[in-house]
Amino acid sequence: MADVLFNVFALLTVIAAAGVVLNRNAVNASMCLLLSLVGVAGLFVALDAYLLAFLLLLVYAGAIVALFLFIVMLLDAKGDVPAPIHKIPLLARIMAFALVTVGLISFFTRGRIVSPDLATTPALGSSLKLYAYQLFTIYLLPVQILGFLLLIAMLGVIVLSKKFEGMDDIK
Amino acid sequence: MTLEAVKFAAADNLWSAIFPELLLGGLALLLLALEILLPKRLHAVIPDVAAAGVAGTLIGMLVNLQFTTGAMTFNGLLQHSTGGQLMRVFFLLCALLVFLLARVSLARQPMPRVEFYHIVLVVTATMMLLAQSNNFVMLFVALETLTIGLYILVAYFRTSTASLEAGLKYLVMGALSSGLLLFGIVLLYGVAGSPSLPSHTVEPLNYDELGRFLAGNPHNFLASLGIALVLAGIAFKIGAFPFQIWVPDVYQGAPTPVTAFLAVASKAAGFAVLLGLCGPGGPFASYGWLVTPALTAMAAATILFGNLAALTQSNVKRLIGLSGVSHAGFLLLGVVASSASPHAIGAVYFYLFAYLIASFTVFGVMVHVAGADDSDQQLDHYAGLARRNPFLATVLAVGLGSLAGIPPLAGFMGKFLIFVAAFEAGARWLLAVAAVGVVISIYYYFGWIKAAFFDTWVPPTDPAATPTGTPPGRTVKVTLAVLALLSIGLGFYQGPLGQWLTLR
Repeated sequence: MADVLFNVFALLTVIAAAGVVLNRNAVNASMCLLLSLVGVAGLFVALDAYLLAFLLLLVYAGAIVALFLFIVMLLDAKGDVPAPIHKIPLLARIMAFALVTVGLISFFTRGRIVSPDLATTPALGSSLKLYAYQLFTIYLLPVQILGFLLLIAMLGVIVLSKKFEGMDDIK
Repeated sequence: MTLEAVKFAAADNLWSAIFPELLLGGLALLLLALEILLPKRLHAVIPDVAAAGVAGTLIGMLVNLQFTTGAMTFNGLLQHSTGGQLMRVFFLLCALLVFLLARVSLARQPMPRVEFYHIVLVVTATMMLLAQSNNFVMLFVALETLTIGLYILVAYFRTSTASLEAGLKYLVMGALSSGLLLFGIVLLYGVAGSPSLPSHTVEPLNYDELGRFLAGNPHNFLASLGIALVLAGIAFKIGAFPFQIWVPDVYQGAPTPVTAFLAVASKAAGFAVLLGLCGPGGPFASYGWLVTPALTAMAAATILFGNLAALTQSNVKRLIGLSGVSHAGFLLLGVVASSASPHAIGAVYFYLFAYLIASFTVFGVMVHVAGADDSDQQLDHYAGLARRNPFLATVLAVGLGSLAGIPPLAGFMGKFLIFVAAFEAGARWLLAVAAVGVVISIYYYFGWIKAAFFDTWVPPTDPAATPTGTPPGRTVKVTLAVLALLSIGLGFYQGPLGQWLTLR
């Protein structure tokens, strides 16, 4: 059962990821990215990492891809004619070939990687409760700093983009 | 995690240990509250409140300065070392001087004020935490907060296209460097937490735990890749070759106070992190076979590139930016020496303080000579400065002399201490490169002094092209005089301060 689920989600992830690269239409490519992320989230569920799956859907699929879509629609980007392969720089071609080779080699030799003993692996952060405990005890200081980060980011957006109408607004 | 463990972890969050940072955070919020509550005619008081708050925190810091050796709080997120305490004082001083420059510089621009002071305060507080961090989570969160604050500050003069362009360039390069750093951290986290390796750990983000793991696996490929990426990410922040490409444009476009903040505080923060990671006792200490050659090559290239590129500049902000690159090279020399010489770390701190004093002297003159267009500050604008304003010209000469390392100024002592440490560590050919760098730097620093003091014939230009500048106020005059005297005094007599910094 787990294997079937893995295969389904893995296939979904890879096919959708190929769709991101191959699609000429930017909106369709973004939707493919969304599908691919759903596939990855499914893989996380199969690994019992429910929190990660949930965060991935919430943050990436929910917020970031939506942002992509906004930008794409605002800019009204149309797909260009693809560059013929001899126009692509030699270095880029070599690097792409090397990456594919490394990927294939690691795919066919993955059985040799010593996989760690699952029982000894601590599962901190895998459940929401443990994650929250850590966030509010050990990592309380970074969380507070991130509060300030969001505050200055907001102030920065206001300072850099607000319309100042006349000198009255400027103190 | 049981309830007891939660209570135990919560009890270790010792907020009183970071009281100065909390004060700065509270002060930043107070400024925003004051802007809302005070009537508009009283808004001029807000910068004074900010400066008084920082000065109070600084005095409090100095009075209560105590060197706890390596006490940890916040469950190992922070370690309160001597270096951390010194850097806290350093950043508070920077913030105070930046406020002084900002008052002159912001007065010429139709921009909101309070947000500037707010962001500088938050950035200063995170820098102080960064210098004490002992955990990669803390490091990354503090570094990101500081960098995002600086993106905003660099683009702050949004009516000037140069400032906006600089902000965008800094954003793109900063995002790339953060990406590299994060990728390195993740690799280290993954490899040090892998149960199939000897001496793996459940807390790979903690420096001490990571150091233990790295000592147990001295030639792991993934770990060395992670270390290389972390070093590359930090090299971006300090502007070391080959990651210095953003420096000239960003330094030129940024408002002058922000340029000073970038050149001094941001660079010092990078070095505090680098010393924490690569210094003796740091987690990367057992990877000396990788770290030392990498930093050595980087130091040599940085010194040569910074000085050679600064030679041809006619814009003083670009010049000071590129000379700052070469100063990063000299500091890297100190970091390289720190693995073999006990004096090196103290020498790096001394150099940083001498650099702070000299840089702010020069920037203090720059904001007064500059006109309404902040990015257009040419060497020609300094022609006849000695006649127009002898005080500014004298102070400028002292600051530049100290930056160039002319005896008997503080900058010379800084370079001297670093060179002695490097000699002890046996980095002979690197010393030769550094000596060449010093000679080159004297040429362009003295070109600047020459422009200010000696009249040369210039083709008659439109008199409106040379900005009139602002005459310095009394506070600025006193501060600049004190800074210049400090540069001279620290060169002659380091006294207990020098001993304290170099020997500890």
